[in-house]
Amino acid sequence: MSKTPARRTLLCPRCDTPMEASVSAKSMPCPGCHRNIRSEDETVTDYQARVEYYNEGRVEVAKKGIIIAEVRVRALVVKGEVKGPVRARQSVHLEKTGKLTGDVSTPLLAVQEGAVLVGRVDAGPRRADARPAEAPLDATPRAR
Amino acid sequence: MPPLPPGGSETVLGSDVTFKGEVIYESAMRIEGKFDGKITSKGRLAIGKGAHVSGEVSVGNVSIEGGFKGNVVSSEKVELANTAQMQGDIRAPKLVVAEGATLVGNVVISPDALKGQGAAEREQILSGQSPQVRR
Repeated sequence: MSKTPARRTLLCPRCDTPMEASVSAKSMPCPGCHRNIRSEDETVTDYQARVEYYNEGRVEVAKKGIIIAEVRVRALVVKGEVKGPVRARQSVHLEKTGKLTGDVSTPLLAVQEGAVLVGRVDAGPRRADARPAEAPLDATPRAR
Repeated sequence: MPPLPPGGSETVLGSDVTFKGEVIYESAMRIEGKFDGKITSKGRLAIGKGAHVSGEVSVGNVSIEGGFKGNVVSSEKVELANTAQMQGDIRAPKLVVAEGATLVGNVVISPDALKGQGAAEREQILSGQSPQVRR
């Protein structure tokens, strides 16, 4: 008997099109805008300056990591530095060594004492453009 | 919240109190009811779970567990509990936000947060007088 792979529902960070994908998928094309979506959890340990930093996975910016970009992720943990607007569908954790300069939109924000935060914050339930019909992002077994 | 200084006392606005106006105090204050106005102190302020506060706040330390609408300038630290519903701007050297808190507004949290206000305004804050918060 073959095992049923666990599936999860993702939303495209660019066009918000929902799609189903295996939990082990690292990237996939969006059926709406046909652009590639990364969904792999990442740890940023170096300097990354880009126009956009989109990932439907969990992104951790390590103490020495720096991201300068428009950031759209599922969950963000900042121990280093982020410059640019941040939209996280699930959560933003700003640790005591973290620096975040830019507007933040997320349903769940946690800030530790010592963190630096400058920008407009929109944090709380139903933030980060969460849509009412949004499917849970956790892995769910696929019914056949 | 740091403990009260020796000889310091806490002023409590109970849950059945509705207050409109300006309050200036030295050491500590806890609000459990409704407050609308201006609070100025170099001490600490605690806004309880069932409290609703709106207005301008310039204090040393502030801890928010209930609802708050307005601007906060703190010379030390702002703490938002997971039950906090904060709408307004925050300017402080330190901020602690618990998971689940609601925060909507412009935030400037850095060791230099109060430097941008100019020396005169900073002096006002530290001496317990309330300047206007810049937007």
